[in-house]
Amino acid sequence: MTFRRKLLIVFALTVFLSVAGVALAVLALTRNAFEKSEDEQTTALVTQFQREFEHRGGDVAQRVERIAGLDLVLRMAAAGHTTSADSASYLDLAHSIAESWQLDFLEFLDEDGKIISSAQSPAKFGYPDPAFESLSRLNQQPAFLKLEELQDSNALGLFAVRATRVGDHPVYVVGGRRLDRNFLSALDLPPGMRVLLYENRTERFSAESLLDPGSGRNGTHSADKLAALVNAVQHSDKEMTGVVKWSPDPADEEVFHAIPLRGAGQDRALLGILLIGNSRAAYAELKQRIRDSALLVGGAGIVLAILLSSWAAGRVTRPVERLAHAAQEVAGGNWSSQVEVSGRDEIGQLADSFNRMTAELLAQKERLVQTERVAAWRELARRLAHELKNPLFPLQLTVENLVRARTHNPEQFEEVFRESSSTLLAEISNLKAIIQRFSEFSRMPQPQLQRVKISEIVSAVVQLFQAQLKSSGRAAITCKLDLDESLEPVEADPELLHRAVSNLVLNAMDSMPNGGTLTLRTRREERKAVIEVADTGSGMTREECERIFTPYYTSKQHGTGLGLAIVQSVVSDHGGRICVRSEPGRGSTFVIELPFERH
Amino acid sequence: MKLFAWQWLAASSLLLAAVVASGETRPRYGGTLRIEMRAALSSLDPADRNVPDSFGRRNVTALIFDTLVTFDDTAHIKPALAESWQAAGQELRLHIRHDVKFHDGTSLTAETVAASLRFANPSWKVMAEPDSVTIQGDFSEEELLAQLTLSRNAIVKRDAGKVSGTGPFHIVDWQSGSRLTLAAEDNCWRGRPFLDSIAVEMGKSYHDQMTSLQLGRVDLIEVSPEQVRRISQEGRGIASSMPIELVALVFAREALSPEEQALRSALALSVDRTAIRDVLLQGAGEAAGSILPIWMSGYGFVFSSGVDLSKARQLRGQAATIPNWRLGYDTGDPLDRLLAERIALNAHDAGLALQTTSSPSPDLWIAHLPLEGDAWNSLGKLADQMGVPLTKRHGSLEELYAAEQAILKSGRIIPLLHLPASYVASPGLRNWRVRSEGTVSLDDAWLESARQ
Repeated sequence: MTFRRKLLIVFALTVFLSVAGVALAVLALTRNAFEKSEDEQTTALVTQFQREFEHRGGDVAQRVERIAGLDLVLRMAAAGHTTSADSASYLDLAHSIAESWQLDFLEFLDEDGKIISSAQSPAKFGYPDPAFESLSRLNQQPAFLKLEELQDSNALGLFAVRATRVGDHPVYVVGGRRLDRNFLSALDLPPGMRVLLYENRTERFSAESLLDPGSGRNGTHSADKLAALVNAVQHSDKEMTGVVKWSPDPADEEVFHAIPLRGAGQDRALLGILLIGNSRAAYAELKQRIRDSALLVGGAGIVLAILLSSWAAGRVTRPVERLAHAAQEVAGGNWSSQVEVSGRDEIGQLADSFNRMTAELLAQKERLVQTERVAAWRELARRLAHELKNPLFPLQLTVENLVRARTHNPEQFEEVFRESSSTLLAEISNLKAIIQRFSEFSRMPQPQLQRVKISEIVSAVVQLFQAQLKSSGRAAITCKLDLDESLEPVEADPELLHRAVSNLVLNAMDSMPNGGTLTLRTRREERKAVIEVADTGSGMTREECERIFTPYYTSKQHGTGLGLAIVQSVVSDHGGRICVRSEPGRGSTFVIELPFERH
Repeated sequence: MKLFAWQWLAASSLLLAAVVASGETRPRYGGTLRIEMRAALSSLDPADRNVPDSFGRRNVTALIFDTLVTFDDTAHIKPALAESWQAAGQELRLHIRHDVKFHDGTSLTAETVAASLRFANPSWKVMAEPDSVTIQGDFSEEELLAQLTLSRNAIVKRDAGKVSGTGPFHIVDWQSGSRLTLAAEDNCWRGRPFLDSIAVEMGKSYHDQMTSLQLGRVDLIEVSPEQVRRISQEGRGIASSMPIELVALVFAREALSPEEQALRSALALSVDRTAIRDVLLQGAGEAAGSILPIWMSGYGFVFSSGVDLSKARQLRGQAATIPNWRLGYDTGDPLDRLLAERIALNAHDAGLALQTTSSPSPDLWIAHLPLEGDAWNSLGKLADQMGVPLTKRHGSLEELYAAEQAILKSGRIIPLLHLPASYVASPGLRNWRVRSEGTVSLDDAWLESARQ
């Protein structure tokens, strides 16, 4: 990935993360504000409910008090024990009084707790009220919550008890009003809020027990979603808050604050649960708006960031790219590469330093070339001196021997002359050969490339040296061939390649004066053809290996030091490379790698 | 002279008083009688078995149709559309009254009578002769004649969905289930009624009927039994029949095991009928342990109607499992609701599980069964409804008792109460009466408000 793209991504990510961060922060703040508002509204509604509860309770108590003072009730109390005939005349009494006094529940109980007349359960006349014991204790007490057992259901109501006593026969008047939709509808609800009442009739949640003033019937088809919250309050008997998701749409979420409603008496039984719901529609709408805005701003920001960062990255990266390009040129050998310095910032300083570096490198290279040239000349001079000195010394001796024979033994001069002449000719011939080799090295021809099979060239070389390998004048050298005949042809000059392999074979033979094994291999290695020439000779040290391809360097007593230099030159001219693996005493292996295709 | 003058004055005053008195009691022709009733009849055909039996239906039928024979006030068969009859072996020949016309103007013929009887009783073999019809079957003369008094055996001419009768009133307007207007039949074989017409509003609750009466919108209404005492105390013109309506708990099916039969007996023993009668019904009717009321059978006291909770609990204890019975009732009748609730409470006292329900398919329900004026007719009809086969449908008192026992032993029915059919009329309706079988007789009724 280019530096410019990286910069682009960094800029875009920065903008996106910034917008996302701001959006999240705004969302968090919004949520906190809504939650705070919810808490305040819930608290206000609970206070309002309690106030309404007390108000209605006082109203119920007042009505029951007045009913207890009615003549009819006083006469009932005065009558004392009730008979069937009394029950018959009282059958509708509670109902008619309850209607007149607008009470939903009204019962008259005798001193034993038996129902004389009941508005809500007229058929229960003569039966004892199961809650009489606690009801009698609540006489003259403020109104309280009570779950009234009806024939086929229970109903939650606000009740009050007042006793009327004439003589020794009290009559208990138990009246109440239902906590129903009307009661809930009387509450002044802020927009988005609603109040539901759950009558705790059963151990587990029942939708039928839910009073929702907003619906036409007791529960709604999805009221079961309140089950978890109601059940939790039933178990914990504590106030709880929960979020109800009526549908997958977040706007249908509603936060419910559940408040347990307890009855009178010692056990303070859980009779109902007040559910204050606060719609999250407004919050969801606002959240959606924030999210949409964030996406819009983020999207626009990213586009803008891409444009701006593209421009900025271009300005920043263009000098860097030029530097990179110049560095690549330097790496490619063009040491004179220079970059434009476009400022005094870090990039400008870097470009200036680069220019100075390449200038310095160029100067050092020229100095190095001159030094190497001098060194090469010195080495050449040394080698020439060394090579020429060897034949010159016998020449000098032979000439001095001739002079001495002429002076001191004229009679033997002829014989000495003949011998010296042949020596002189031999040494001159030697000098000629030396000069010839130097001449040849200086005139290395350019390779004439053609498709050749290297295994065939190696075989030809071995064939050429077969006689020498088995000559009786030296220790025997065993030759092993491991040639890959399926090797594809390479583009090479067969004569030069033949010469290079021959030089390596000669070197190997020279390194095995006491005989050994010469191994020649050809193989394929990736996109290259490989020729290996291995011997089991004396081997070389690491230092020798490093210098072995230097022209005029030789480890042999009578070598010119040009053989391996010629090999390296040939391999190099073919676009290949040569290396050597060697260990003193264990032989050497020369490896030539030639590409199948030259570029 | 002075004495004569005084004598003349006194005689004139007496004559005037007599004239005024005779003017108050002399029937007047004309006027429209307005009636309201609870039943909402979907058909006026008395043989339509889809229409539940009720006193209201019987009243309407009696106004439009006639039977071949009928009971007189002494519970003896008397002629109606049949002038006479002769029994011979397994046959009963009834001679059809002459010069009787249906409301559509056609004459009453033996063929029409036979067709009507065949329609109402598909199992009967009825043959028409020129002036008589012969009914063949495996029943006695008394049994057959008693059955012919039933309103379902009223003679009806059926023509393209329309019905026509020979009764004192013919149909003018009929809106199924809501309204019926009848007009006096001038050529009725029984003579023209005093009333010109009758307007019947159907499907009215007891409460609505009473409200209409108090507002003067109606002349004759039905009265709920528990209201009888109060209305009587108010001095209104109320009339009741003998206890003719059986209120009973009817199970949807027969008891499948002795254990279930024992539980049903426990339920019967747990119901405090006296408290129900005294309080919920305000003293109306009679607590019943039998199907037939005492006045009809004479032996009703043999069947206990008292509470025996200890025995009920004992019977309940014999059952390994207690079924949760669902007790149905007429949700439109407040008294029925109270009855159901009280019975559920009583059952609970005996350890039984009984829950009131408005479900259309309860395990048992409170049934209001209008009995017939004849004991055998009542038992026979009930046995047919309960699916209990009766070996005899007419006979001695012992056989009547045995038949009633057979129905009770089926376990499908628990008698609770016998209630009278009660009616209240406005003061302007005169000369009306309630028959012992619970229907209203308007044959001689007239309205004070009618023209002279």
